[in-house]
Amino acid sequence: MSEARVEQRQQNGTVLLVLVGLGIAFALLVALLTAAKAHTGPIYGEANMLYAALVLYAGAAALYMGYGVTGIERYVNSATVLTTLGFLANTAAVAHRWSVAGRPPFSNMYEMLLSFVWTLALLTLIAERAYKVKIIGSITMPITVVSVILMQLLPSDVRPLVPALQSTWLQVHVSLAMLSYAACAVSFALAMMFLVQDGMKSESFQALTSTGTIAIYAAMLITRFRGGALAVTAYDLESKAEVMVSRGHPLFIQIPDLGWLYLLVLLSALAPLALYVVGQIKKMPELFDAGSKAMFISIVVQVLGLAIFVARVKNGQYASPDADGFYRTALPANPFLLAGIVGSILAGLLYLLLLWRREGLQRMLPPAEVLDRVTYKIIGIAFPLLTLMIAAGAYWANQAWGSYWSWDPKETWAAITWLVYAGYLHMRITRGWKGRRAAWFAILGFGVVIFTFFGVTYLLPGLHAYAAG
Amino acid sequence: MGLKSLWNKLYDTLSSVKTGIFLIIVVGIFSAIGTVILQRPTSEPEDLQRNYSPETLLWLDRLGLTDIFHSGWFLVLLVLFCTCLIFVSLDRWPNAWKAYTKPVRFATAPFRASLPFTAKFNAGNEAAALSAAEKAFQKVGYSPEKVSEGGASGLFGERQKFAVFSVYVVHLSLLLIFAGYILDGFVGYRGNIQVTEGQAKNVIVLRDNKGGSTKKELPFFIRCDAAGMESYADGSPKKWWSKLALLENGREVVTKTIIVNDPLTYKGIRIYQASMGQSSTPRLLTFAAAPAAGGEPVMVDVPINGKATLPDGESLSVLRFVPDYYIQDNEVFQKSDDPENPAIQLGLTDAKGETKKLWILYAQANSTQGQAAPYIFSIKNAKWAQYTGLEVSHQPGQFGVWAGVVVMAFGLMLAFYAQHTRVWATIIESEGGKQLWVGGTTNKNRDRFQTKFEEIKAELAKELGTPASKPKA
Repeated sequence: MSEARVEQRQQNGTVLLVLVGLGIAFALLVALLTAAKAHTGPIYGEANMLYAALVLYAGAAALYMGYGVTGIERYVNSATVLTTLGFLANTAAVAHRWSVAGRPPFSNMYEMLLSFVWTLALLTLIAERAYKVKIIGSITMPITVVSVILMQLLPSDVRPLVPALQSTWLQVHVSLAMLSYAACAVSFALAMMFLVQDGMKSESFQALTSTGTIAIYAAMLITRFRGGALAVTAYDLESKAEVMVSRGHPLFIQIPDLGWLYLLVLLSALAPLALYVVGQIKKMPELFDAGSKAMFISIVVQVLGLAIFVARVKNGQYASPDADGFYRTALPANPFLLAGIVGSILAGLLYLLLLWRREGLQRMLPPAEVLDRVTYKIIGIAFPLLTLMIAAGAYWANQAWGSYWSWDPKETWAAITWLVYAGYLHMRITRGWKGRRAAWFAILGFGVVIFTFFGVTYLLPGLHAYAAG
Repeated sequence: MGLKSLWNKLYDTLSSVKTGIFLIIVVGIFSAIGTVILQRPTSEPEDLQRNYSPETLLWLDRLGLTDIFHSGWFLVLLVLFCTCLIFVSLDRWPNAWKAYTKPVRFATAPFRASLPFTAKFNAGNEAAALSAAEKAFQKVGYSPEKVSEGGASGLFGERQKFAVFSVYVVHLSLLLIFAGYILDGFVGYRGNIQVTEGQAKNVIVLRDNKGGSTKKELPFFIRCDAAGMESYADGSPKKWWSKLALLENGREVVTKTIIVNDPLTYKGIRIYQASMGQSSTPRLLTFAAAPAAGGEPVMVDVPINGKATLPDGESLSVLRFVPDYYIQDNEVFQKSDDPENPAIQLGLTDAKGETKKLWILYAQANSTQGQAAPYIFSIKNAKWAQYTGLEVSHQPGQFGVWAGVVVMAFGLMLAFYAQHTRVWATIIESEGGKQLWVGGTTNKNRDRFQTKFEEIKAELAKELGTPASKPKA
């Protein structure tokens, strides 16, 4: 019986390799299709360098994941080389933009992602060298790939700064934010690895992953579902800008039936979670296997959903209840939707990696105790940076808007993030919280970071709105 | 149940970490709710009405959920949290103070058993063994003191003992920040004012949830001498500026050209550049003056606070400008600020100094025809004054906040990077004769201390010529 299981796992491993390959090929295809911007300018220019970084990072991500699947040491060495080269290209892109704009690149979503990716790649290389956590690239590099793809879709022209942004404190504030958020991302990756090493059951990871997917699709449907259609932002391809109804209010157009499709995706993600819950309550472990199959189906459905989303966005004009006529849309106008969909698929792929290669993964990862300690150390770096980031932001707000604290949603959520990490450190230092409880705390913290970074910008209104475009 | 037991109960509740954590979680939850429900001070009233049904809005208002961050109960929550922080700190202070001033100097048997790092060495000569231990401690950076208890002698050394206070520094910084913020809640204010070029004003509209109905008089007048904006080539704004003068008792006390990100501060009141626009007050009016006797009209530019001279020597001035007028009981009144339908009263002063008052009532005719004067005037053009939108704020508590931030940075450095380590040595009796016992502990970063303790052991082994005794299995 057990031999049969092992056999089956190995077969699944091959399936996985194909799946991961297909996933990456698909991601690259999306990138190539949508990154069809004119790559003019000097060869060392920002667009070309960023494109080179994308290709190198994608290669590195594939190799890191390949290492995760097969455990072949050679892969990770090549991955490190690719990451380093990608990082150099990324540095060139940052430097070129900096020199063209005459200021550090922090002023809109595109520039912030550019800096974020740079920091994340740097931290990955550091974590690999200094802490010997080789597998970390299999989590951080896919994040960089998604981010760079997202950047290809965002308006990237160098825009002059509006008066409120002409402050040195802006650079201080945003660079601290990037550093601390990247450190939070690394601590999240480490906490997940800790859970793997600590022997958390695969079905619990499955429940975690499907909960994440459900949260993403629920957020999209709550804000964008319009009687079966999905509301997206209208985009003017000529001027490369969103169509606005009035200042701060973009025009929403409705893609028919896409809302139903995404409701279906949500249901497909609910199935594995439901099977997990029932399996837990009724003590029927056989349901967990069914849950894994449901999870696999859900991932396939999500990939289909992405393909249909891209196809419908790229072709066709849609009506809006707020204005006459038909409007076009484009992927750049909907980075929040796209990031959610792609992020969810990647999380699913990582879960499959864990499901099929758990023993191999556990051999490759550092011991649980080390991961626990390094997570704490990284948060010990992230937290002071987070504190200074909020303080610099408050000081800047005091110079620009007349108040150091306005309870703007972004501010409030930054404070909540701070509280969560303060809670982690407090419990760790005074109560000796370690291991699994601490890891969950670190995961929660990064969830709040993601919400503060993306969710607040695209879901909640506020002063930081200029960051959206 | 007396007052005393009630106090004890209150003290126990407030000095419990659990209460503090509970309170801060409640603050966090309500803060999150405040980012989801539209808040009155930051949203347009129409937005609230569009998003919520009237009953929902009524209840949200009643529960104070449309202005969470300025409501009394939120402030009470913050104050409660601060109180809890103070009680928790006070409750634990005596222990920390004792650890700082009167640390355990001599390692007694039960204390020895509680330490995470210990080692034993066979020692022939007591004094030589202790001096070897002293040397080993000194080598890794301690300056040990000689201690004794009940005839037994030993050594004690510690480093960075101020780390004991790091938690108090962090708590103090939080209190400073909250105190500053709460102070601003009581004495601070924030509002806005629009001043047209040439105007001086001293009443601001406060920014609160009452929709602009609360006004406040400043202790000085703000006069705007000039205002303007510059744009980039693509039309987006590059710079907004206003040349301001503050007047106290009619005297100019300070002048400054402010821009966004560079406010003017006077007596703790800060004035910020917020917006810019065209006012309905003209700066310069251009009239066509046609001689009543007939002939070609001439164009005259009349500055709003000055006069212009006509070809025949008369001077022309604008006595009144009403941007949008109506007439009732033969009087001119202002209907709106929209300069679509102006009424202009002109003063024409001849060489003898006699002034004739003439009206242009735009809705009737753009002309003074029919009013006895040597000219017929009609309005041809107007240049409008800029107004500058200023944000005015008084937040004396911010200095508490900044001080808190600096103290917090310091406290966090202490909490994360200051490592309080202690080491002891003493001579113990065991079955095989006298032994040198060394032990140590650290408040954090066990790995680093472990290497240090290994160094001590290696040094001792070298000095005493004997390896550390194996602990019994």
